[in-house]
Amino acid sequence: MSSVLKNRKAAVLFLMPALILYTAIVFVPILCSLYYSLFQWNGLSGMTFIGMDNYVELFTGDKIVWPVLLQTIVYTALQILFQVGGGLLLALLLTLLVKKRAFFQTIYYIPVVISSVAVCQIFDKLFSVTPTGLVNHLLSFFNEALGMTEWLTTPGLSLVVTAFAEGYKTMGVYMVTFFAALLSVPDDLSEAAKMDGAGWLKTVFYVKLPYIRPILVANMVLVLNNALRSFDFSFMLTAGGPGTSSELLASYMYKKAFGSMQYGYGSAVAVLIVGICLVLAKFCMKQFDK
Amino acid sequence: MEKRKNMHPPKGQGGRKKRSGRQPGTVLVYLVGCCAALVTAYPVFYAAAFGLKGAEEARTSPSYALPREIDWGNYLYIIKESAFPRYFVNSMVITGTVVILVLVLASMAAFALAKMELRGKRRIQMYFLMGLMIPIQVCLLPLYQVFARLHLTNSYFGVILPQAAFGIPLSMYLFLNFFRFFPDDILEACVIDGAGICRLFAGIVLPMSRNIILTLAMMRAVYSWNDFLFPYTFTRSRDLQTITLGLRDFVGAYGYTDWGRTFAAVTITIVPMIAVYFFLGKYMVSGMADGSVKG
Repeated sequence: MSSVLKNRKAAVLFLMPALILYTAIVFVPILCSLYYSLFQWNGLSGMTFIGMDNYVELFTGDKIVWPVLLQTIVYTALQILFQVGGGLLLALLLTLLVKKRAFFQTIYYIPVVISSVAVCQIFDKLFSVTPTGLVNHLLSFFNEALGMTEWLTTPGLSLVVTAFAEGYKTMGVYMVTFFAALLSVPDDLSEAAKMDGAGWLKTVFYVKLPYIRPILVANMVLVLNNALRSFDFSFMLTAGGPGTSSELLASYMYKKAFGSMQYGYGSAVAVLIVGICLVLAKFCMKQFDK
Repeated sequence: MEKRKNMHPPKGQGGRKKRSGRQPGTVLVYLVGCCAALVTAYPVFYAAAFGLKGAEEARTSPSYALPREIDWGNYLYIIKESAFPRYFVNSMVITGTVVILVLVLASMAAFALAKMELRGKRRIQMYFLMGLMIPIQVCLLPLYQVFARLHLTNSYFGVILPQAAFGIPLSMYLFLNFFRFFPDDILEACVIDGAGICRLFAGIVLPMSRNIILTLAMMRAVYSWNDFLFPYTFTRSRDLQTITLGLRDFVGAYGYTDWGRTFAAVTITIVPMIAVYFFLGKYMVSGMADGSVKG
């Protein structure tokens, strides 16, 4: 290598701006949050040091956070289903749509470029009961009772609808990765399967999917990671409701901190989220190193 | 590459499973494909159509019905009288700055890590990539505290800095992948010709990285334009709101939601993104595919 590239000073100079910005905005606040979580503080008046009390309260006294954690886990599982599953299905569909493929791919990707706020507002209308939204209107052709489903105000169902909304918006991203991966499956493998008499479905299951398994796993990890931090949809579509049945960890933390002005406690919840993410990250690293 | 793949089975007879290797019938496939397209494209159409309903119609007719009469009132209101033009300007400024900031910072840092000499490169890389795992919420509160003290909570910077900072990990990841495969001999040749590091980077490396730069620019632009949380937390006054925040302007105002205006606003917000996507989308899509399959 040449001396220009070996210039240490230049290298540091190139690295510094990004490093500084990143450290200041991403890294330092995490340490601050850790610090705040040891205090009781409403953001305005003084901070009272209470040590681990926030965490004790979190793990023993808080009746809401554990169901919320469970809901977040369920939400995450649903996200994997919708985003990875949906993305994969769309990608498979694209491999079959030989003509006008670019057209279809463009259309399928549209939800990704729409803001979550917009998606929430549209879904709010589509799934509404009074006045009857499109979904209920279509359902009422099959069954009157189904057409009265209160999608966003039924505990449990609201979580699923929220998950669907986020999945709907994001599945295009994974569709792209899966499609590229599916295209990279060597032709001779699928030809060999065909010669052995395998139909399309069998070829997919026994040849293509195993071949793209690393991508499948990587995408699942990505979705997992993102879903644990999901905020926008539960905050805007259902506001965590009804009650707290569709509340997620991230929006719960936000409400505690900025809504109830419990900065110390909110920080503790935030630290909990980071902890879970880190544990997951370690676990995934181990899987990848295998 | 054999042309076999393009041979369609005759007349869409997908039912005969005994035909080895036959794909599901063409008709069926395209039917499903069109249904999927309908589902993905419908919401945009829905919002656009709803925006065309006059106030009376918006309240009374079923939400899924097409407008009986086309009323441009909502759209005109949004464009002329509301605060939306201001929001649009805000969004443009913020998004533009964030994209440039991220591209410059991330490309320089990634280049340093990929091609230049530094101690502890591995660890620094890991440090940056860790950022992909960090939930944004954990940083909100401390950032808010600091920004409040620096009087940044009601300014463009309050939104630009966090958006840029959180965009760095992913951008660095893609740049790193890209630079790793960048041919060293080109760099060597330029240095022998007497290029200094700046000329090397700005004159040679960046132009050759056009594809990935466009890809990242698109991804960051979409993210920044559509972002909700940072503008929501860090702007106070109406003047500084982004267009995405502005979508909520008509919701629940005085206890009543003007859906007609809301959806006109939604459509106006979505259109720039979709337009940009239609024209430059192939960069976004192909760049991501490359980055993930190769890396």
